[in-house]
Amino acid sequence: MILYVLIYLVIIVGVVGAVISKKLLNSAIMLAIASIGISLLLFGYSAPWAAVFELSVCAGLITVLFISAVSLVKNEEDTTKEKQIKYSIFPLIMSAVVILSSIFIPEYFEKLSSYANTTQNGNELKIGDIIWSIRGIDVIAQIMLLAGGVFAIKHIFSYVKKQEE
Amino acid sequence: MVIDLLSYSLIPMFSSLALPFFAKKNIRIAIILANVALLSGFINISYLIINSITKPDIIPIIDPLTVFLIFTIYTVALAISFFSTYYGIEKEANPISYYSLILLSVSAMTSLVMVRDLFSLYLFVEILAVCSFALITSDIKSNSIEAAIKYFFLTFPASILIILGISLVLASQKALDFEIISVSTNIMTMIGLSFVIIGFLIKSGVVPFHFWTLDVYQGASSPISAYLAGIITKIGGIYAIIKISIIMKYYPVETISSILLFTSILTILIGAFGAIAQKDMKRMLAYSSISQMGYILAGVSTFSSTGIIAAVFHLFNHATFKTVLFLNSACIEKQTGTTNMTELKGLEKKMPITSWTSIIASMSTAGIPPLSGFWSKILVIIALWQVGYIKSAIIAIIASIITLGYFVLMQRKVFFGKLAEKLTEIKEVESPLLLPVIIMSLMIILAGIYVTYIYSYLEKIM
Amino acid sequence: MQNIYFPLDWFFITLIFFSGAYCMIVSKNIIKLLIGFEIISKASIIAIITSGYLISNINLAQSIIIVMILVEAVVIATGLALVVKSYRINKTIDITKLSNMKG
Repeated sequence: MILYVLIYLVIIVGVVGAVISKKLLNSAIMLAIASIGISLLLFGYSAPWAAVFELSVCAGLITVLFISAVSLVKNEEDTTKEKQIKYSIFPLIMSAVVILSSIFIPEYFEKLSSYANTTQNGNELKIGDIIWSIRGIDVIAQIMLLAGGVFAIKHIFSYVKKQEE
Repeated sequence: MVIDLLSYSLIPMFSSLALPFFAKKNIRIAIILANVALLSGFINISYLIINSITKPDIIPIIDPLTVFLIFTIYTVALAISFFSTYYGIEKEANPISYYSLILLSVSAMTSLVMVRDLFSLYLFVEILAVCSFALITSDIKSNSIEAAIKYFFLTFPASILIILGISLVLASQKALDFEIISVSTNIMTMIGLSFVIIGFLIKSGVVPFHFWTLDVYQGASSPISAYLAGIITKIGGIYAIIKISIIMKYYPVETISSILLFTSILTILIGAFGAIAQKDMKRMLAYSSISQMGYILAGVSTFSSTGIIAAVFHLFNHATFKTVLFLNSACIEKQTGTTNMTELKGLEKKMPITSWTSIIASMSTAGIPPLSGFWSKILVIIALWQVGYIKSAIIAIIASIITLGYFVLMQRKVFFGKLAEKLTEIKEVESPLLLPVIIMSLMIILAGIYVTYIYSYLEKIM
Repeated sequence: MQNIYFPLDWFFITLIFFSGAYCMIVSKNIIKLLIGFEIISKASIIAIITSGYLISNINLAQSIIIVMILVEAVVIATGLALVVKSYRINKTIDITKLSNMKG
């Protein structure tokens, strides 16, 4: 129980740090720390496959994408000034939300979880069977999604050459 | 998943993956391949649906909702693909990725209407959103990038609400199939499904989340506006709400029904009154689309079989007549160079076929018998009356009369009357561009005449 | 024993969702908006695994999470491509300066 609260503290520190930071590079790194926290949480729930996917994709690939995009728009970032007051009052608003929701939310969801369906069935299926045979439609959908992403990025960057003529 | 119709989804997907390899030799071969793939699917599905409608006892029935919606998808996609070949889309965007994205979106929409599972539904909606968001940027002017940014940040956070709802449904039902959810009623499932409905309402552009639709329809290039207004906002938004309302037949749905009804009446009124004050043709058509979406939502909110049949029929009608209107405004813009309605007077003398197809489509929007728009609006009003929402039915009738009056006035100003001086040299557009709108106008007239066959075919949904 | 985690998890989901929503509402920089969207997606992943633990069928929740991580990566990639293209045309990444279309 103490272990779960520690992992949640890591996630909350990462998220609040990502919102408050002034530079975009620090925001991306705090987001990576939050992703590592989520991966540890998934491992604690005995879901090792999802934990390793989360670690390699979110804490690795998305952080690299953000850092490369930030370095492509480097000149403009220095001249976009925002009021720092909106970010400095964020911890105050956050603590108010924490106090308010700790009064109402846990009781509501405890009452709601009594409606949940917790009957045990006899045999547990392995994850390989679930991904490939029961939810086989998702595999076709993943191929479609990757093709869609590739064509979309190709279409967005399609005619930079013509504009420079 | 309905396995019999799986090829309607796989053939466009494989064509889109093979398209870049064909385009290396010659771009014309690739464009012809894309059009032929859609044409073959259209001929097959129209053969299937004409047999199912006219000979109901001989042919075994596959699920009627699925077949009807696949027919609508292929009609609109084939019209848009054929139109953009002759419209000259090669000057504005890269043709290889444009046709690949259209074929991929057809494949995603066809799979979307075939699944029987909540999570796969969400997954195909996401694929459709990525493809359509990339298609909006196919224009040189800078307005299209701004429209795409607004579309991105106002609809993708709605997907997270849908996932929160799916997690609550999963916790109470142990599985996500439609048959399992519809059998056992449980208050946690109802709260989860309410989250899912709110998420899909944001994605479909009803009030108060309608601000992105106006900018997107105006900013995107003309064939893509027609594609979005005709089919994507419907299959990507309202179809899931129709499917959930078919599931919740045995649930206690008083609260959800009244909230959906209030939203739909607000949408109808804001769409109808917003269209009156507009001078730009595309923005007026955008407000009219919002109003028609309100009619479909009003039919769904009754949770009765008449309402759902009315909603599905109005979805098909709106796909046909709104596509005709948007494509015709693209033709008018190409010939005259403007879409400002105060400058366009007396177009009927110079562009006769464009004018007459627009008039047929406008009369169907306004609800003039015996065209198909009249029948679907009457069905929605009857469904509202039967459940007991008398005041809402009267408001729907009044909004329909206001739309009727305004459209008749607009047509008289734009199409009939004296020809303006600037327009004396324009000619009719070339004939391949007119072929899709002529076929769709014929479909509007035929659907209005054979409405009893369509009604008895759609009655087998419930 | 199983029921302690469900309300505790939803308490943290509310906190994370609120932080991400605040970041999306307040920022003017488009890349910061995308970071807020990413934070909200993390909250949805915790929601799925909590429900999976409650019905004691973790493997189904894992297969849903694997697909959702892929969806999130593709959406973020296309969003960043759009931001870079918008920077090249408009020379700004400030979202309040994009107001060409009114009404």
